[in-house]
Amino acid sequence: MTVASGTVGRSVRLDTRTWAPWAALVGGALALQLAFSSSSGFPAELDTFLESPIDRAGSWMRTNRLSHPLFTKFFTPLSNAIDSVITHIGDLLLWAPWYVVIAAFMMIAVRVRMWREAAVIGGALFYTGAIGLWEESMQTLALMSASVFLAVLIGLPLGVWAALRPRVETVARPFLDVMQTVPAFIYFLPLFMLFGIGNVPAAVATVIYALPPVVRLTTLGIRQVPRSAVEASEMFGATPRQTLVKVQLPMAVRTIMTGLSQTVMMALGIVVLATLIGADGLGSPVLQSLNQRRTGRGMAAGLAIVAIAMVLDRVWRALAERDPMRRLPRRIMLGAVAAIVVATLIGRSAGRVSFPHLWDMSLFDPIDNGVEWARDNLRWFTRPFSDFVVTKLYLPPRDFLIDTVAWPVLVFVTGFACWRIKNWQFAVFSMCALLAIGLTGMWELSLDTLVQVIIATALSLAVAVPLGVWAGRSRRVEAVLAPVLDAMQTIPSLVYIIPVVILFTVGVVPGIIATVVYAMVPGVRITALGIREVAEESVEASRTFGATPRQTLFGVRLPLAAPTIMAGVNQVIMMVLAMVIITGLVGGGALGFETVRALQRSLFGLGFEVGLALVLMAMILDRFTEAWADRLKPPASS
Amino acid sequence: MAESGSTRAEVLDATGCTLGVRDVSFDVHLGETFVVMGLSGSGKSTLVRCVARLTDVTKGQVTLDGDDLTAMDERTLRQIRRKKLSMVFQHFGLFPHRSVIDNAAYGLEVQGISKADRHAEAHRVLELVGLKGYEYHYPQQLSGGMQQRVGLARALAVDPEVLFFDEPFSALDPLIRRDMQDELIRLQSDLQRTIVFITHDFAEAIKLGDRIAIMKDGIFDQIGTAAELITNPATDYVREFTHDIPKAKVLTAADVMQPGEGGGRQVRADQSVESLIPLMLDDPAPLTVVDGSGLTVGIVDRTAVMAVLDDGS
Repeated sequence: MTVASGTVGRSVRLDTRTWAPWAALVGGALALQLAFSSSSGFPAELDTFLESPIDRAGSWMRTNRLSHPLFTKFFTPLSNAIDSVITHIGDLLLWAPWYVVIAAFMMIAVRVRMWREAAVIGGALFYTGAIGLWEESMQTLALMSASVFLAVLIGLPLGVWAALRPRVETVARPFLDVMQTVPAFIYFLPLFMLFGIGNVPAAVATVIYALPPVVRLTTLGIRQVPRSAVEASEMFGATPRQTLVKVQLPMAVRTIMTGLSQTVMMALGIVVLATLIGADGLGSPVLQSLNQRRTGRGMAAGLAIVAIAMVLDRVWRALAERDPMRRLPRRIMLGAVAAIVVATLIGRSAGRVSFPHLWDMSLFDPIDNGVEWARDNLRWFTRPFSDFVVTKLYLPPRDFLIDTVAWPVLVFVTGFACWRIKNWQFAVFSMCALLAIGLTGMWELSLDTLVQVIIATALSLAVAVPLGVWAGRSRRVEAVLAPVLDAMQTIPSLVYIIPVVILFTVGVVPGIIATVVYAMVPGVRITALGIREVAEESVEASRTFGATPRQTLFGVRLPLAAPTIMAGVNQVIMMVLAMVIITGLVGGGALGFETVRALQRSLFGLGFEVGLALVLMAMILDRFTEAWADRLKPPASS
Repeated sequence: MAESGSTRAEVLDATGCTLGVRDVSFDVHLGETFVVMGLSGSGKSTLVRCVARLTDVTKGQVTLDGDDLTAMDERTLRQIRRKKLSMVFQHFGLFPHRSVIDNAAYGLEVQGISKADRHAEAHRVLELVGLKGYEYHYPQQLSGGMQQRVGLARALAVDPEVLFFDEPFSALDPLIRRDMQDELIRLQSDLQRTIVFITHDFAEAIKLGDRIAIMKDGIFDQIGTAAELITNPATDYVREFTHDIPKAKVLTAADVMQPGEGGGRQVRADQSVESLIPLMLDDPAPLTVVDGSGLTVGIVDRTAVMAVLDDGS
């Protein structure tokens, strides 16, 4: 950029370096559009090179499941082993009298004097029993704990290895990134192919989902151990193994545990979806309620999932509490254990095992009436709103992208944008990814999904950023918002989609609304964090110059918080993508519907193509927003 | 480059690398407290880390009883560390997940000594450093000074020949620091270990060190006893440190005496100059300095004492 000397402001004359790329963009796009205007969609003759071989592989697996050594010697025994672990835990939880189960879980918190946490655990478990979902809850608990146990079993050594050998981390990182970017439901179909239906594919999907944070946080935890502690150990002649076992791992436990608790909460989202591939547990009452449009029952079951999430979270926190001084004396704990054993024996022999019938899910039926009332009386709003979203926000860009714009133009423009935001390697990657999406025949469906994703993201941000700014500036607002946000993120989205479906009928709109509700949460959180992180000094400096609060917000707070907020945008998009399958369940069409169809009818080839399209889309969007966030960061000091 | 004698600034200019420690040669004698004193960035921590082989040296040797530590493989080094070396760290380096007694017993634990034996020994050293009764507390429950006592106990528990102290007291507040220095002097008078002590505090160096090395920009400016540094500083840099030191407290009668035959009142050679002042005030006549066996070794007159006091201001 040339600046005219002696004048204020920029010169009118533009440097060729500034405008040349843009001219190339417009020129290239126009030229491509003209050249390919006759063929709007992706050429169909290139399609299906992936679908049929995978379908063949799928049917091969089906016919050889009982005979081929790959299954009889590997997948089937592995599957049986995992299944028996889950079943055994579940059986144990159901074998023990319910009050013993509740007492035992509470003890984990009591042991470290976390009284309030113990109360939460007790209350939450009591709720699941009282509402008549004890059995399903125990099954879900078993599935989750087995999955988390497996994730730790695999993730911990990997994390340690990565912490001690930086090279391992360099190799593992891109894999972990992809594992975390990809929505979990994409694993369902291949896992379903390998392990059959039931708990196992659900458990393995959860493990895959939970693995990256376990590895990452183990690595982080070990790296965070103060050097002086490690050196002290070395100075006393400890071998590397002794230092690891006696010093590094014990000191990293807290970080590892904290991270795991988060993962468990997020993995619970899989519980409902796991029902689609035949897992037991709390998912099926939720799914049933959706099919029957029973908002109240859906909520009853959804709250049971939240209750299990709370139990796991509190138990995990109690296990993470390593402060030895908070532990209750050993003899009290031994007494409690003895009491539990006695209670179990007495309860078993007296036949008082299963939760007494208090209420059932019909307790929540009055809610249905409320929703129906709202449906009948809010038509004046829901109709026009629905129409507006569909005809003004959704259809025009969708039709424009699919029918008007020639596909090479899109590839070219995407490549250009990726090159400008990051580098030419990224441009090449995304252009190839788009071509691959086209080659698998997913071009139109992907564009359809993309438009929905963009609308949902934009709406989420439109709600989340102002809310986040508000929460970031006022502690009180945040205190009010925090539990609401927690609930929104923990309640399975299928639960609150039921009333939305009743209000707006099936289609694109309920999917988008549910997505916005779910995805805005991290947006609010991270924006609030970004605003709060802005150094008080910068804000005060601005104030001393007489800036109005508004000027301070737009001139100082927002620009300084921008990189953090952009990281939030990245999270929002990832959450939106994770909801694609949910939108498919309620008539959103596009890739989501194809995913559901592929899962329900075991269309492996189709499932793979949809999955691939989603993965590639997720990777482009993830890296794009990440690069954008990097650009917003102020230059680092050397 | 460093070998050809360039200074640290020249090396930094030419290569962008900071020269840590260069051309530093010294011997530490058995049972001696050798203090390395320098300001931050002078290379003193790098030096002790090289000597303890926490950092590998690019060039040079560290020998212990004739064995070259720098040339040792991991295994042998580990054995030497287990049996002969110990270290006390600036930020304590304690293990927060272990009780005080398990911290103290750590060195014995990695050697594979049974729990009963290592706890017995840990009890003994904890009592030695004044932590009896705190065995089953955790480090974070103790004050900074007590934490460093744990660090000291941990170092002593393995019965090392050589103890490294890397600025062990600099994170403590002044009163606690003085207590800990006194404690170390007391322990050292009993134990007589070989100590390499790193500090940035000249007063601490003088108080603890049998010999002191003044370090600047990766090299030693001077090595000597406290009195040698004060009476005969080798460089202006060393002289600057000695400025604020109350010399009358550090220097002894032996440092300021002149040859001569006395006959008047007698003082011991190791008495501080400060303690001579009241005698001088009572009576201006010269004092006779005698050694341990009562033989006269010199005299101290009023002028000598006045010179010490005058130079300090």
